[in-house]
Amino acid sequence: MNTSGPALPSLQKEISQRKIDAYSVVRPKSIHTDPDWARQKGFRAPLAQAMMSTAYVSELMTRFLGAGFVRGGTLSMVFIKPVYAGDRLTVRGVIKDKRREGGGTRVSVDVWCENQHGEKTAVGTATGLEP
Amino acid sequence: MIEFRPLTYETLKVGEEFVSDEHLVTPEDIETYAFAVDDHHPWFFEDSPFGGPIAHPTLLGNQALRLRHSRYIVHAGLHAKMEFEFLEPIRQGVRVRSRGTVVDKYERRGKPYMVTEFVTEDEKGMALVRGRFTQMLFRG
Repeated sequence: MNTSGPALPSLQKEISQRKIDAYSVVRPKSIHTDPDWARQKGFRAPLAQAMMSTAYVSELMTRFLGAGFVRGGTLSMVFIKPVYAGDRLTVRGVIKDKRREGGGTRVSVDVWCENQHGEKTAVGTATGLEP
Repeated sequence: MIEFRPLTYETLKVGEEFVSDEHLVTPEDIETYAFAVDDHHPWFFEDSPFGGPIAHPTLLGNQALRLRHSRYIVHAGLHAKMEFEFLEPIRQGVRVRSRGTVVDKYERRGKPYMVTEFVTEDEKGMALVRGRFTQMLFRG
């Protein structure tokens, strides 16, 4: 992963249980919204849905490219570490490549989320079309 | 009538197909999602370059991710990988449906995984979002 290219403005996300509940819908026997069930499955607390991190990167890219991400964007992420209720994530992106595509330019960005301990929780690549 | 069964690695078949129910994208869906991910972009609530409000591009990810719930009882799983192609904006008021196919299953370090390819379409059959995801299954 390239971490030395031009950086996009980072985002900060506070992961509250209430936000996880809104994202995942509260139900019993859910590792996201049922603390007892999460513990039974080996987690110290309910987990944020990994998909929430794709939303954060989507926000990062939409702020960067606007409509060129909403229509024509791509996102590929691997989830490498759990995100728990109470964590604080920083969402980062670094431009790694630009290439011509049709009449425009597609920008590739290395993206990742890291928690309050500086540990990466999700990594990947996002692309979109420059305005 | 669907006969739901617990999801296990053994019963899951590569090539299995899933179809979600149709879902109407409401202003409440868009607002709830904006709250959940703390992203209140004005395009979600006012006008957008696409004409009218649109939803967050990842709004329908859970419709795809939950495709297996249309046939199986799934008490826990971990999302390992996600790939999205955002083909068209998701407009407020559109009716959407996701379709998916299990394209692979494998075990790695003793843990079972399933891979699903999906597409989410509007009521006219236009693809809005396409992608592929990998989920780890819990045993027992």
